[in-house]
Amino acid sequence: MAFVSVEFLIFICIVCLAYFIMPAKGKWVVLLITSYVFYAFSSWKLLIFLLITTATTFLTGMQLGKISKNTKAYIATNKETLGREEKKLDREKQIQKKRRVVLLMVLLNLGILIFLKYFNFLAGNVNKLLGMAGGETQIPFLSLFLPLGISFYTLQAIGYVVDIYREKYEPDTNLAQFALFMSFFPQIIQGPIARYDHLAHQLYEPHAFDYDRVAKGAQLILWGFMKKLVLADRVAILVNQIFDNYMQYEGLVLFIGAIGYSLQIYGDFSGGMDIARGVSQILGIDLAINFDHPYFSRSLSEFWRRWHITLGGWMKDYVFYPLSLSKSFNKLGKKCRKIFGNYIGKKLPTFLAMFITFMLVGVWHGSSWKYIAYGFWNGGIISASILLESFYTKCSTVCKIDVESYGWKFIQMVRTFILATLGRFFSRALTCQIALYMFLHTFTSFNPWVLTDGTLMELGLKGVDYVLIFVMILILLVVGILQERGIHLRDSIAQQNILFRWFLYLGALFFVLLTGIYGPGYSATEFIYQQF
Amino acid sequence: MEEKLMEILNDLRPDVEFEKETELIDGGILDSFDIVSLVSELNSEFDIEINVLDLEPKNFNSAKAMLELIVKLQEEG
Repeated sequence: MAFVSVEFLIFICIVCLAYFIMPAKGKWVVLLITSYVFYAFSSWKLLIFLLITTATTFLTGMQLGKISKNTKAYIATNKETLGREEKKLDREKQIQKKRRVVLLMVLLNLGILIFLKYFNFLAGNVNKLLGMAGGETQIPFLSLFLPLGISFYTLQAIGYVVDIYREKYEPDTNLAQFALFMSFFPQIIQGPIARYDHLAHQLYEPHAFDYDRVAKGAQLILWGFMKKLVLADRVAILVNQIFDNYMQYEGLVLFIGAIGYSLQIYGDFSGGMDIARGVSQILGIDLAINFDHPYFSRSLSEFWRRWHITLGGWMKDYVFYPLSLSKSFNKLGKKCRKIFGNYIGKKLPTFLAMFITFMLVGVWHGSSWKYIAYGFWNGGIISASILLESFYTKCSTVCKIDVESYGWKFIQMVRTFILATLGRFFSRALTCQIALYMFLHTFTSFNPWVLTDGTLMELGLKGVDYVLIFVMILILLVVGILQERGIHLRDSIAQQNILFRWFLYLGALFFVLLTGIYGPGYSATEFIYQQF
Repeated sequence: MEEKLMEILNDLRPDVEFEKETELIDGGILDSFDIVSLVSELNSEFDIEINVLDLEPKNFNSAKAMLELIVKLQEEG
C-alpha cells in the first residue's frame, strides 16, 4: 500500500478511529495489528522475514539480559570472597559470552539481508572473475524478492541488540510489544530508523485524542504530499527523460538532470518522512527527525549530518565510532604516526574508518558498483576537505574573506549543493559506467545556450511545470529559512485567525489536488527509498 | 588536569572558545572527526578508556563536562 494513495488515506482514518476508540490498555494492540495488516497488504509472502528478524532480535535481547543479570548476581553474592582481578575476569567472560550471542544474531540477520539484496550482484562479479581466469563454472542467478523495508528494520534490530550488549537499557520482555517496535507501519517502509529508547515506550503508552496534535499531524501530511506530488514527481519527468536518454544530451543538460534529481530525491524522501511523522503525530508518537534542511549545509560533512540523519547516526554509533576507537585502529594510528608523522598519522585511521562507513552507506542503498563509487565520492571529498582545512583557512585570511559573512556562507552552500549534486550521478544513473559518462560529459562539453534555445521545453515538462517547480523551491526556501531562524511555522499558523488558517489549509489542499502529478487511479509513483 | 585538557582542546580546534561553549556537540561545533581525535588524545594523556557509550553529547558539550567524565573514568579505572 503506497503512502500516496487513496487506500492509504482510508487506512489512516480506520487506524485513527480504532486507536482512539480502543480503551487505553489495548491501544498498542491496534497499532500492532494495523502495522501487520499494512505490511501484509504490501508483501504478505515476505512477512516471514520480518517475523524471523523480530523473533531472533527479541530472543537475543533476552539472552543478553540474562547473561548480564547472572554475572551481576554472581559478583554481588560473592563480593566478599572475590578479588578485584576475579571480578574483572568474570566481567570479561560475560563480555565474551555476550559477544558470541550478538555475533550470531548479526550474522543471521545481516546474512538474510546480504543474501536477498546482494547475492546476484556478488554472483555476477564472481562469474566475471571466473570467466577472466578461464573457468567455465558459473554461479547461477537467483530470482530473489526483497522484503519491504528490510534494509531499515535490519539496522533497527542490530542497533537494539548492540545497545543491550552495551547495557544502555534493559531488554524488552514482551514479544508482542517488541513486534510493534519492529513493524510500526508509518516508518517500516523507508524509516526513520528508530532507536528503541526513543520510540518503544511511545508506542506502548496510550495516547488520547488531542485536536491540536491531530491538526498539526494532518498539516505535516499535507506538506509531505506537496513535496512529493507537486515537486518530486514533477521533476521526476525531466530527470527520467535525461537519465534514460543521456546519450542525446551533453554538458549543462546532464547537470540539470542531476540538479533535478537532487530536488526530486529531497522532495520524495523528506516528503515521505513528513507523511510518516504526520501520521505518527496524529497518534501521539514523535518519530525521529530525518532531515534538517540539508541543502543549507556549508560543507559536505555537514550535509551528511543533515540528510537521512537516522542512517548517519546509526552508522556513526555502530560503525564509525566502534571502528575508529577500536584497539586495532589505535595500533594502526601508532604505526601511521611513525611512518607519516604526527599530523597525517593521527588522521589516517580515522579517514579509513570514515571511508569504510561511507562505503557501507553507499552499499546499503543497493547492490551495484555505482553505490560504491557514490561512497568513494562522498568519503573522498570529505577527507580532502579535512586535509586541506588549514590551507583554506590560510587562503581566506590572505584574501581577507569574512568567513561569517552572509555572502561567503551563501557561496559555501552553493558549493556544497553542487558537490552533493555531482554525487547524485552515481546514485541515479543506471550503472557506474553511465554515471561516469554523464559526470565527465558535464564538464567536457558545456553549452550554456541550452537554457535559452528551447531544449528545456523538450525534456517532458511544459512552461507551467517549470513555474510550479520554481514556486515549490521558493516555498521550500522561505519555510527553510524561517525554520532555521527558530520559527515554528505550525505554531505560528495556529495563532492566526480562523479565516486565514482555513484559507491557508484549503489553499494548500487545492494546490496539491490541482497541481500534483498523479498516475492511474490517483496513485503517485513509488517512493525512491522504498526500493532500498 | 584542567590546564592539560584546555591545551588539548585548543590544539584540536583553535577557532573555538572552549571556556565559554556549552553546546559543543548539540550546536554542531565539534564533529565526529573531532571527537575521535579528542578521545584518542584524552585516552593517552589521562590513561583512561573512553567507551563508545560515553560518547554522548552530555559528556562532550563543554570542557567542564569532559573534565567530569575524565575524573569519573579515572576513579572507576
